[in-house]
Amino acid sequence: MTAAIVRRRALIRTTWREAYSQPSIGQVPLRRSLSTFNHFVASTKVEPKSPLPPLLPNAKPFRLAVKDNIATEEFPTQCASAILGEHASPFEATIVRQLRLRGANVVGKTNMDEFGMGSHSVNSIHGPVRNPLAATGEDVSAGGSSGGSAVAVALDEADIALGTDTGGSVRLPAAYTGITGYKPSYGMLSRFGVVPYANSLDTVGLLARDVEPIRELVFDTGLYQEHDPHDPTSLNVEARQRCSKACPPTLPSLSQLTIGIPVEYNIDELDPSIRAAWVATASVLESQGARVVPVSLPSIKEALCAYYILAPAEASSNLAKYDGVRYGVRGPGGDAAGETLYSEARGAGFGAEVKRRILLGTYSLSSEAMDNYFIQAQKIRRLIQQDFDRVFKLDNPLYEPRQFDLSEMSADTALEDKQGPAQVDFLLSPTAPTYPPKLSDIQKRSSVDVYMNDVLTVPASLAGLPAISVPVKAEQGHQFPAGIQLIAQYWDDRRLLALADKVVKLMAA
Amino acid sequence: MSRRSAGELSRYLLEGHLSHRGCINGRRLSSRAAPLWPSLRHPYALRHLHTQPKPAATGVPQPAHVPLRKQLKEQAKQAKKQGKKKSKGDSQTVDGWELTVGIEIHAQLNTSRKLFSPATTSFNDEPNSHVALFDVAMPGSQPLFQKETLIPALRAALALNCEIQPVSRFDRKHYFWWDQPSGYQITQFYEPFAKKGHITLLARDGISAEDGESVTVGIKQVQLEQDTAKTLAQTGSVHWLDFNRVGVPLIEIITEPEMHHPRTAAVLVRKIQLLLNTVDSCVSGMETGGLRADVNVSVRRADDGSKTLGTRTEIKNLSTIKAVEDAIIAERDRQIRELEAGNVIAGETRGWTIGSKETRRLRGKEGEVDYRYMPDPDLPPLVIGNDLVQSLQQSLAVLPDTELDRLVMHYGLTPKDALSLITLDNGSRVQYFYRVLALLEGKLRADADLAELPDAASYSTLAANWILHELGRLTTYKAGPLASGDLSFTQLGECAQVPEEDLSQLLYHLHRKDITGKVAKELLIAVYLKELEGGILEAINANDLWFKEISKEEYNALAESAAEGEDKVLEEFADEQKYPQGKLMYLVGKMMRLGPTERIDPATAESAMRLWIERFHGRQ
Repeated sequence: MTAAIVRRRALIRTTWREAYSQPSIGQVPLRRSLSTFNHFVASTKVEPKSPLPPLLPNAKPFRLAVKDNIATEEFPTQCASAILGEHASPFEATIVRQLRLRGANVVGKTNMDEFGMGSHSVNSIHGPVRNPLAATGEDVSAGGSSGGSAVAVALDEADIALGTDTGGSVRLPAAYTGITGYKPSYGMLSRFGVVPYANSLDTVGLLARDVEPIRELVFDTGLYQEHDPHDPTSLNVEARQRCSKACPPTLPSLSQLTIGIPVEYNIDELDPSIRAAWVATASVLESQGARVVPVSLPSIKEALCAYYILAPAEASSNLAKYDGVRYGVRGPGGDAAGETLYSEARGAGFGAEVKRRILLGTYSLSSEAMDNYFIQAQKIRRLIQQDFDRVFKLDNPLYEPRQFDLSEMSADTALEDKQGPAQVDFLLSPTAPTYPPKLSDIQKRSSVDVYMNDVLTVPASLAGLPAISVPVKAEQGHQFPAGIQLIAQYWDDRRLLALADKVVKLMAA
Repeated sequence: MSRRSAGELSRYLLEGHLSHRGCINGRRLSSRAAPLWPSLRHPYALRHLHTQPKPAATGVPQPAHVPLRKQLKEQAKQAKKQGKKKSKGDSQTVDGWELTVGIEIHAQLNTSRKLFSPATTSFNDEPNSHVALFDVAMPGSQPLFQKETLIPALRAALALNCEIQPVSRFDRKHYFWWDQPSGYQITQFYEPFAKKGHITLLARDGISAEDGESVTVGIKQVQLEQDTAKTLAQTGSVHWLDFNRVGVPLIEIITEPEMHHPRTAAVLVRKIQLLLNTVDSCVSGMETGGLRADVNVSVRRADDGSKTLGTRTEIKNLSTIKAVEDAIIAERDRQIRELEAGNVIAGETRGWTIGSKETRRLRGKEGEVDYRYMPDPDLPPLVIGNDLVQSLQQSLAVLPDTELDRLVMHYGLTPKDALSLITLDNGSRVQYFYRVLALLEGKLRADADLAELPDAASYSTLAANWILHELGRLTTYKAGPLASGDLSFTQLGECAQVPEEDLSQLLYHLHRKDITGKVAKELLIAVYLKELEGGILEAINANDLWFKEISKEEYNALAESAAEGEDKVLEEFADEQKYPQGKLMYLVGKMMRLGPTERIDPATAESAMRLWIERFHGRQ
């Protein structure tokens, strides 16, 4: 079986390898592609090996774009990496199959940051994705890592696009391209067939121009109820039922809702006009009767650090398989006695950002650093998750209800009454601290500066919570919309989508 | 690795597996004469039954024609070359030094599925015919823990008296090697499923004499983990990979560093292999690569007051039981040499080639891999219910020590035969024994001539003797129709070549003295060669093989004719204090030659001769 796969050459452009194998330190060399926005990497279908079972009764045909790190039988799956340049998956990801049964026609695989590592979809063997909202002649980030998926939707070349969201990779490009990007609760949508970046954070996300098609697909077609026996992190049916029972099925009127404004999200780096859009959204909700309160999530300050320890650690482990033996192309040398067999293949096959994160992860897992980095980051992750549980009215259905002791909270936490601080239904925040930057500016930034871009999206990822980014019109005459993020308690996805839809409509009015 | 000749390999395998001078009978007389422990304090009252005093082991047999002086010279030369290496006989200790050994054993579990994929496990199937997506680390595939694999693992842990952990977890151990498609092995590093066990090694298991009656070795932990792919070396620098083995479930058993003698360490490995086999955890032994051992060796001066052990080295991948003992001895002696020369021991990994005298350095500390253990983010914790543990504990097979006691006490077997019976054919031989015995008992019970069943020991020792030795003889012929024959036993103890029905029928007649031993042996060969068409009874009838014993009078007459002209010999029987058994047998032999051999029972002939001599000397 497998030998045939290796032999079967994937449909890839022939020029990338020359372009990519140029010695490059730091940033991947950017190169123009034939497409203006460079969002699709392959759109020539190959005949799938297994026939599709009959469509579900209520299936409605729609166009689906799939991020290139999600396995498809109709297209190669390369994760925008040279090391998977010849890889065609012998199987189809569960989520792709589920959507095809619901009427999806896969129109193509979309460009991305290599293995999902990046915030601007520039770390790709196919070159960077460009933002269609930018003025002509300007190369602007489409956000990452699911940038290609976002652009395909923004250009109306797909009705729905699949992305993956590990630390904001669906929400961020949605915010930059003015569409909706939804990251479901961890464990709701199957990851089987998704090439892992950081398994404990990876989720399959959906992008669309409006909220409604996403809600229909996930909830009306029963996708959220389907357990995948191939994915050990997919919630089983009993757990799904238990979680669904714990969450109210419908959104009440706004007057019965409390919206939390997490004060830690109001960072210095936040663009003033995005802050204004945030305030405007909160004001509109308040004017419609919602109660808007500030809340504190003190551990959030450490979230970015914890994320950039944990995600690279898991990545360094997940990417160990690309060693030139089964995956990747082996170099001409390196097999003689005393030489290494693998470093040449890995050196040539991975891009600079992937190498950086592999090295970061390798270090934080090493026996000297493990206790100070990986273990500490896991502790922070637990604290962040508890911070969220503390501010949400709903209990987290995955844990026994927890009593929060006031003495455990930081001294400057504002108390609502003697019971403690206010508890909320949803959290409202910006998605990204700035508008999409120019690609030329990104090249000048250090990698740590680029990581800063994820500061508002990683907390929900670390806690496994559902989150969604919707576009909100910024101040008059601004080129780009602002991305506004809503976060809900675990498995409260249905109400989250309903509120997001309401926010979009209220803000458009 | 270089290839060894089959002969060399088989010697090692045989000696390691069922030693003729090593583990089982190699105990020296001195240890009997001066036991280290007062035997009363010992719970193992069977000791006196089990110990078989034998002359001191002679070590490597010397060619007879070499003059003694030359031998000694050679020895001295060897000793100089190899440092202070002593002869095999007292290689267990080195004066002034204490050895400490800990062992890690990897054993393939007897399961039908791989640890994290539903692909079936196989032994010699077409390469790469049982491979799931996850086995080759296909991007996007995920591990799925196969619950069934837990059962043999739990049985093993229970047989080793471990505490089963209600929650355990899986971790990734990272290193690059071509037989490891994912770049990491999934194992249980931080939280293994079983901890704090122990195993007791008894004198009869063949432990070093210095360890006395018994020694208990702690089991630190038992963990579940994946096997790697099989590498098939081709000519040049080409390697073929068979992924059928990748992901096959293993358990790793880690002992505490509590062994101080090389032979005891080897015995531990053998006993664990036997235990795993008995409880059906692991079906293939070291011979077939189903079990591998790594040993950790350190030495310190015996008068060293501090409690700390010396720096340890690890010898990887020992594939026979003899290699365990030999490698430990070689490594201990090397470490002592280094320390006595004023050097320090480097913590390093070393290798051992079968048949060599020295361990060799594989990699030092600087070359050690940092495995970067990380909890596997795809795999949930393994939760083991107490009900499962209870149920497995209750259904656990009888452990070898208990079975051995029963074979010795109830069936009257010698400890040596009992141990052989249990060990042979991965435990199938003893099952065959029980089957034959049951049929034999049934035949004896149905026998109208017998008022009551004879003593169990009388026929069970006969059966054991035939099942071990006469059956064993069938496969030792180098030429003729019996050459290259083989006996195969199923796990339930069925033998296709010698069906239990035939053997029990044969033993029934032999036990009743209906046929002679000679006839019985010929019949056995006929059964083995499938020359009998209608079964044992028909063959005896058809060929008139019944033993028609001569009468008492005829025995007496034979004795008289045999004694004729043997006055000198008969004189020697005059002294009642010193009975000349040898002379008696000489006379019996003469009787056999004079009479119709096939009608004489040697035992009866012997007592007839004895009686005749007694009368001759007027003592009766």
